[in-house]
Amino acid sequence: MLTMNKISKSFITDDVATHALRDIQLHVNEGDFVSVTGPSGSGKTTFLNIAGLLETSTSGEYLLDGEDIAKLNDSGRSRMRNQKIGFIFQSFNLIPDLNLFDNVDVPLRYRGLNTAERRKRIEHHLDQVGLASRMKHLPSQLSGGQQQRVAIARALATSPRFLLADEPTGNLDSQMAQSVMSLLEDINKAGTTILMVTHDPSLAARATRQIYIKDGHVSELTNKNSNLHVVGEA
Amino acid sequence: MLELLARLELGLIFRALMRNKIGALLIALQIALTLTIMVNAIFMMQERSQQMARPSGLDETNTFYLSNTIFAQNYNTQTALQQDLQRIRQTPGVVAVTQINAIPLSGGGWSMGLQTKPGDDLEGTGTAVYMVDEHGIEALGVELIAGENFQSSDIVWREVGSTKWPPKTIITKALAEAMFEGDWKKALGKTVYIDNHQPVQITGIINGLQAPWNGWNGVERSMLVPQQLDGKGSRYFIRTEAGRRDELMPVIEKMLADSDRGRIIRNVTSMQQTRDESYQEHQATNTILLTVIIVLTLITGFGIVGLAMFSINRRTRQIGTRRALGASQWQVMRYFMLENLLISFAGVILGAAGAVGLNIWLVATFSMSPLSPVLLVIGVVALLIVGQLAVSYPALVASKISPATATRGRA
Repeated sequence: MLTMNKISKSFITDDVATHALRDIQLHVNEGDFVSVTGPSGSGKTTFLNIAGLLETSTSGEYLLDGEDIAKLNDSGRSRMRNQKIGFIFQSFNLIPDLNLFDNVDVPLRYRGLNTAERRKRIEHHLDQVGLASRMKHLPSQLSGGQQQRVAIARALATSPRFLLADEPTGNLDSQMAQSVMSLLEDINKAGTTILMVTHDPSLAARATRQIYIKDGHVSELTNKNSNLHVVGEA
Repeated sequence: MLELLARLELGLIFRALMRNKIGALLIALQIALTLTIMVNAIFMMQERSQQMARPSGLDETNTFYLSNTIFAQNYNTQTALQQDLQRIRQTPGVVAVTQINAIPLSGGGWSMGLQTKPGDDLEGTGTAVYMVDEHGIEALGVELIAGENFQSSDIVWREVGSTKWPPKTIITKALAEAMFEGDWKKALGKTVYIDNHQPVQITGIINGLQAPWNGWNGVERSMLVPQQLDGKGSRYFIRTEAGRRDELMPVIEKMLADSDRGRIIRNVTSMQQTRDESYQEHQATNTILLTVIIVLTLITGFGIVGLAMFSINRRTRQIGTRRALGASQWQVMRYFMLENLLISFAGVILGAAGAVGLNIWLVATFSMSPLSPVLLVIGVVALLIVGQLAVSYPALVASKISPATATRGRA
């Protein structure tokens, strides 16, 4: 599903190179629920961005669904994000000027789906997160937990094979966080692969695999799937 | 069609705009104001340009005139005039010369009313009056399209203060049409009345000869009368062979000045210069109007750039999120261009109404012609293009925002 082979990322500012990721080796299988933890500044977000095609690596090979990402141009990466990847952000990243229906509609329009199909998906996924009755509300009229549920509905509406969650519970209270986490577990059980960055060890422990990033290096802490082997560095 | 509109996100853009109305409304009003002023200013420029492009009927490139002012006492003006005209005719390169009472487009001249019937209470058709001799038509370079030229025997002297008019006239086609229900041919041979009661027969029709006043709505209506002014001030109108005007202007001035020390020759002026001076105000007005149009358009353009840049800076993370959700660079660029198009549409609809309203007021107040719908359409299209050009740079900047802004960028 996802293979990273010697992926590195460095940023150069004022002639000083900062190595955010160093020679990452990782393989994620379809249906995995992978949590990514690590201290602040360890490279978690960079790792997530590269995995989600939000930025490109400096070197190495990244295969997503068997496709070499390095061979895709910007349009190709946009298309792949839209068709195969769903995003859940810490700050929800809902568009404040659009109501819930329109927010969920955004990626579907980029997909080029017809109106009827889009409506069907939007209603289904808003219903799935328990917000079908509030589809005409603006994000500002919802609680944080509800907004994150809308973001999840938006991510699921495109039927992604791969869901990337960046601190999805970071801005939620513990009750809301549990609720969102349960939702993510349900989504994973339904077959969607999830890669989740979190600071919360208890949430990370609920994933089937735990990856730890420190100083740009990846190591695997646990793997509940006995048949999987992850190549990593200590 | 609806599917296409849906894919273009027009509904989403519109709904988002409705939640941030103020900036968009201000730009729409600016576009409306620009269109209102621009269309009417262009229309006024067009009217002036059309006026400036009207042919005077004269051979302008080869004609000039001068003033002859006599100061000597006991002077035989009639003999001196004939001698002057004779000397000028004999100058190599001169085609024709006539004494004339007024100069077309110069701003000063004579006017009278012509009536088809005699009577004090009848309203005549206004016309400029040019007093010329039998060389008048050739000297002016006007085209006789019907009837015949004056004979030397037709020419009579007109003393200062006289109100007597000769029995013949040659009139312009426009004057003939004004007097004879649009059919100029009917005018030839007809007797009309000048100064209420004096009969004058139309013996010839010339194609065109403009009056001295370019702003007069009857500028194309002129009449030639076979008269020579007997006085101490006169003007000679001279036509030269093609290309010899500038060479002959000082030659004739010197020749006349040297031939008689009892008068002053002055104001030697080409018809081209007279035309240029006549339309100087038009030119200046057009330049001012053009400047206003350019400045207004630039202000509108910069306003659009400013609003778009502000909007993009405010929505950096939102744009990054859209990119993360699958928007291509082109789709982001298209979003901002369509957003501008919607704002511009609102602006041009308001502006079109404003332009028509202003034009109605101008027509009622200044007797201008109604605005051409084609010009309005051109103005609308031009401003939509200006809007799209202005927003293209900010839209390009937006399209370059990295999708990683969704996780790292500003809120």
